[in-house]
Amino acid sequence: MSECNIHIAIIEPSHLIHEGLSHILLKGNPHCRILRFEHLDELKEYRHKECLEVIIVNPTIIMGDPGALGSVKKQFKKAQWVALVTTVFSESLLNLFDARLQITDNPGSINRTIARLTEENCICTDDSPGEELSEREKQVLIELVHGLSNKEIADKLHISTHTVISHRKNISQKAGIKSLSGLTIYAITQKIISMKDIQSGI
Amino acid sequence: MYQTRKTYIKEQMKLADLLFENPYLMLMMQHFGINYVVQDRSVGQVCQENHINKEVFIAFGNLYNGFQELDEKRFSFSDMHSIISFLKNSHQYYKEEKYPEIKNLIDEIARINNTPEIMMIARFFDEYFQEVLEHLAYEDEVAFPFFMELDKNKRKGKEAKEYSAQVYKDHHTDIETKIMELKKLLLKHIPLKEDKTLRRRLIISLFELEYDLTIHYAIEENLLIPLIENLEE
Repeated sequence: MSECNIHIAIIEPSHLIHEGLSHILLKGNPHCRILRFEHLDELKEYRHKECLEVIIVNPTIIMGDPGALGSVKKQFKKAQWVALVTTVFSESLLNLFDARLQITDNPGSINRTIARLTEENCICTDDSPGEELSEREKQVLIELVHGLSNKEIADKLHISTHTVISHRKNISQKAGIKSLSGLTIYAITQKIISMKDIQSGI
Repeated sequence: MYQTRKTYIKEQMKLADLLFENPYLMLMMQHFGINYVVQDRSVGQVCQENHINKEVFIAFGNLYNGFQELDEKRFSFSDMHSIISFLKNSHQYYKEEKYPEIKNLIDEIARINNTPEIMMIARFFDEYFQEVLEHLAYEDEVAFPFFMELDKNKRKGKEAKEYSAQVYKDHHTDIETKIMELKKLLLKHIPLKEDKTLRRRLIISLFELEYDLTIHYAIEENLLIPLIENLEE
């Protein structure tokens, strides 16, 4: 995890505490990116919600309205919420969080807590399926580029239209390209078809 | 490109500081039709001097700074004029600056990397550019003039049934998708030849265009359309 490029948000009104905590976190993991928010409202408007892995909150900012946290939490599905315990808070308030950092924790233990939280959904080990097209998908792509309809492709390859559609979806997903003209260029770069095929076929 | 997490803009901040942090705010100011050399005036002062609703300016600025803040409830139909003028100026920028810049780069690349893939990219882009021009012309000539008159028509009791937010919505296709495809093809799939420098400039230019289009689209979808729908109700 120490090499992980994680995004951490800190919602802490005190500059002093924020700077100190940022410093400790960056020492533990030089690759992490730290964002500072003054209020929960600012966090709500943050555009890249899916990027935040850890959100550290000083519970004083939600003391007046603990319910507000629940609705914000729903917007950040991936994030782990950490209470920064700076003083005595009620147990019910602290139970709203996934983990706690004590103001008296030493740097090592702070970084261990954060590391433990981020280990599970670390994005550095990418286990997403490969982008290489299967043989069947290549066949479908060739026919697509030649201008055949879903129905025509289904008939030609002896598969159902439904299967053709699902192949098309996978092709677009793997290539990152939807339009037919874009897919044509893609097919050429991948050497799935040649220029000659296009010139003679279309 | 649209990854910036910058300062959350507030009225009393010095605009120049914000420009140093995110130079694309210069572009935003150009879309508003105002000067970006502002000495040490604050956001609020610049808005006041230029007769721009500061709410609109700050909300758009925060979009450029990476915040998702467009609550149409904070705006009213009286903001329509500045919103539409902003969108029209953006169109001008796409048509006269950004797309020609991209087209020139592709043409230059095609001269030194004369492969079938690049030729196809050139064609792909030309076709796409035509689509975009039609889309922008439609908004400039049909949709926007209608929206500007909407208030008047309403008062006259003239139910302009021939056009509505719904028609606009149906017409409103997102024109960023093909930019994304171009980026993918150029950055990931088509082998580099002698076009290293030009290709990089082209890709960066595509990122910049995409950044502005994303915001443009968000303003139309999340602000313009709801405002009109509210009025129609």
